[in-house]
Amino acid sequence: MREEIFRMERVTYIEKGIIQLKDFNLQIFQGEIMGFLPVNAHGLPAFLKLLQSNLPLHDGFVYYGETLINSWKASRKGYNRISIIQNQGCLVEGMRVSDTIFVLRQGFRQRIIRSGLLRRQLEPFLRDIGMDISADTYVEKLSYFERIVVEMLRAVIMGHRLIVLNEVSTLISEVELKKLYRIMRKYASQGISFLYISLHFEDILQICDRAALLSYGRVQKVIGETQMSLDTMLEYPEEFNRMVRVHMQSEKGLGMSPDVVLELHDITYGALERLHVKIHAGECVVIQSLDYSIYKSLIGLLIGERRLEGGEILLEGEPVAIRESKSVAVIRELPTRSMIFPGMSYMDNLCFGLLRRVEGIWHDRAIKESVRMEYGSFLGEDVFYMQMEELTEMQKYQLVYTRILLQRPKVVFCIQPFKGADMPHRLLIWRMMETLLQKGIAVVIIAINLADSMSFAERLLRIDGNGMVVEVSREEFSHLSASTPWAHLYRKEEEG
Amino acid sequence: MKKENPFRYISNRIAFMAAMIGLCLMAYQAEQTILLWQGEICVWKWLLHLGITGFYFAAAWFWIFIPYRRSEKFVERIQDGHMISGSGDLNNVLLTPSAKRQMEMTETLLKSPQLIDLNERQAQYLALQNQINPHFLYNTLESIRGEALIAGLDSVADMTEALAKFFRYTITRVENLVSVEEELDNCETYFRIQQYRFGDRLRLHVTYEEEDREDIMSCRIPKLILQPILENSIIHGTERKVGTSTLRIHFTRTQKRLLIRISDDGVGMDEETLAALNDRLNGSGGDIACRENGRRGGIALTNVNNRIHLIFGEEYGMHVYSIPQKGTDVELTIPLTGSDIKIDERDLLS
Repeated sequence: MREEIFRMERVTYIEKGIIQLKDFNLQIFQGEIMGFLPVNAHGLPAFLKLLQSNLPLHDGFVYYGETLINSWKASRKGYNRISIIQNQGCLVEGMRVSDTIFVLRQGFRQRIIRSGLLRRQLEPFLRDIGMDISADTYVEKLSYFERIVVEMLRAVIMGHRLIVLNEVSTLISEVELKKLYRIMRKYASQGISFLYISLHFEDILQICDRAALLSYGRVQKVIGETQMSLDTMLEYPEEFNRMVRVHMQSEKGLGMSPDVVLELHDITYGALERLHVKIHAGECVVIQSLDYSIYKSLIGLLIGERRLEGGEILLEGEPVAIRESKSVAVIRELPTRSMIFPGMSYMDNLCFGLLRRVEGIWHDRAIKESVRMEYGSFLGEDVFYMQMEELTEMQKYQLVYTRILLQRPKVVFCIQPFKGADMPHRLLIWRMMETLLQKGIAVVIIAINLADSMSFAERLLRIDGNGMVVEVSREEFSHLSASTPWAHLYRKEEEG
Repeated sequence: MKKENPFRYISNRIAFMAAMIGLCLMAYQAEQTILLWQGEICVWKWLLHLGITGFYFAAAWFWIFIPYRRSEKFVERIQDGHMISGSGDLNNVLLTPSAKRQMEMTETLLKSPQLIDLNERQAQYLALQNQINPHFLYNTLESIRGEALIAGLDSVADMTEALAKFFRYTITRVENLVSVEEELDNCETYFRIQQYRFGDRLRLHVTYEEEDREDIMSCRIPKLILQPILENSIIHGTERKVGTSTLRIHFTRTQKRLLIRISDDGVGMDEETLAALNDRLNGSGGDIACRENGRRGGIALTNVNNRIHLIFGEEYGMHVYSIPQKGTDVELTIPLTGSDIKIDERDLLS
């Protein structure tokens, strides 16, 4: 007999007049790691909300431990005993690990907090999963991986029987991901269930027992235990597969340009020590940080948080500051949120990249008109009359990347470009990056998890915690780990 | 288009009157507050007025508005074609005694055994329509089998035996609930007949946890719910596929439910068709009486789903998953019960 932990039976949920979930069916059994692959993300935020709280349903039934907790007839008040671990952590900064785990849980009745006792209570849990985190560490000092583990421990101690992990693979390195999988398996064997949401089937294949495919707010297919193989999973993202294959074919035989366009020369900055990287004109390079502190330092370096501690950045041989240069652009993480200015018009948002190229761009109607003439057919005429809040996610991505195209830099750094993007958005980002490369712009992808970045990279530079850089050429991509996205295509390419 | 007069409905008139009273109370409360501020009334009097106003709004919200919305929602669902399940649902509709009686009558009509009979499988319809005498049919099939054995045509004899067995189960037995074992046996008989047509191109696998075998096999399920789905999978899924096809029936037992998944690796269906099918399954009580002459596959699934809804309630039923060129899964959720006595709607089983 299988014990059912969570079940959504034919749920239809409407939010602000828009159907978010329609005839949504999902069941999770005890001790199971269920994968959840959003082919498109419509309905995903609503689904996450419904997991935690019992919002009024239009139709259907929700069960937790085979007890009805929500239905179209009536909802049980309060929150469900389900934890969601994602980008925005739920740990309270300024508190210690032991306090955040024990004190902030329901049912903690002690008036005096005895830190020593809490520390002793926490130790066996940490030992059990082989983690070495001090109970006295403050939450803000934890790395992303440690945060995830602490949140998981908190959920376990609070007695939550279902833990949802939403796109955690974009937050932590490959080595850490493996450790996390080990911990998940351990807890799963103790009867705790997991819902592992990832936009990449490679991640899901590594850890999940079954997987559900979400498309436009419906579960389109549940892939059973016996079908969880690479061959089955490969059949679903067919369009993306085809694009990668076509790109690989078109790139075959093209050598790397000998011209070095940007050089990070002996850079010392935060966790980076004497980093030396050369970027060639028109190439695509992925820089993968195997350690979160390295990633953080790289981001700091690109957005110019503070001055360099050593070394210099050379653009075509000349020293340059990335933040001030018109020839180097940076597309930040989750750009539809971080690079859109809601108070400005669409046209002003679009022409933002021209600031350093054209003086008085804000008042130059002729330039704006020519921009509109040139890109109107691609972006759509309607968007120029729309408020930023009215734009769809797709239109926002188009805006950000077109802004970079207008700027015409020599190098563009993309920080985790595929993070949070579902399949249609990934396809768009892919196409936009391809356009940048066709225009001769070098694309440098900064990533923790390789995700789709590898699909059109020529080189991969992996930087470990000690700052050591290992270069992997395209020919060697097939020898990377099984979780590498599109590894099967590289393997085929090598065999071919 | 002419705008409808909102006061045409008594409910809106009542809501208007209640809002007016609420406004008066609020105005009176505001006046009392001013008087309190001017020192012309004591605090206790002001608090008493505040309590009365608060009680009025709380009662209006929790006692009138929320139950009224629930009743409205319930009636809307019936209008959308959903089933009425469990007598508890009826308690939501207590607008007036006559409205309650009206709902009870609707429930009686919807749940009448005759209506369930309408949902019996297509073969039964055909048999009845053609006025086939079952005994005449079995005797004829037996005769054919005998002739085939004498002529040394073992395969024909086998096939005839399977066909006779299939018809006996389908037409003769009149009960609505059978054990999984019996239903599965009928599926295997049906599959045996189909294999004469498809040969090795078609395979059937039945899987379950071995430790749960006894519980699963003795579980009571509506008669003829698996075979129509299997038939549907063959006709719409695997028949159109080139090469070998595999059909799978997988049983999972949980604490309270039996989950049955019938999967095929056939041609599947596109998102629009799938959405339309699930829409029909989810809100299609109206289909019970509907004599749609459309595609048989959809009707067979709807009929099975309606019968599960009628017997066990709307919490149980069917859901379809599919991906084009990858196959279709039909999932049935049924309460785990080994005895007909435990079923609330026993009157429907006779």
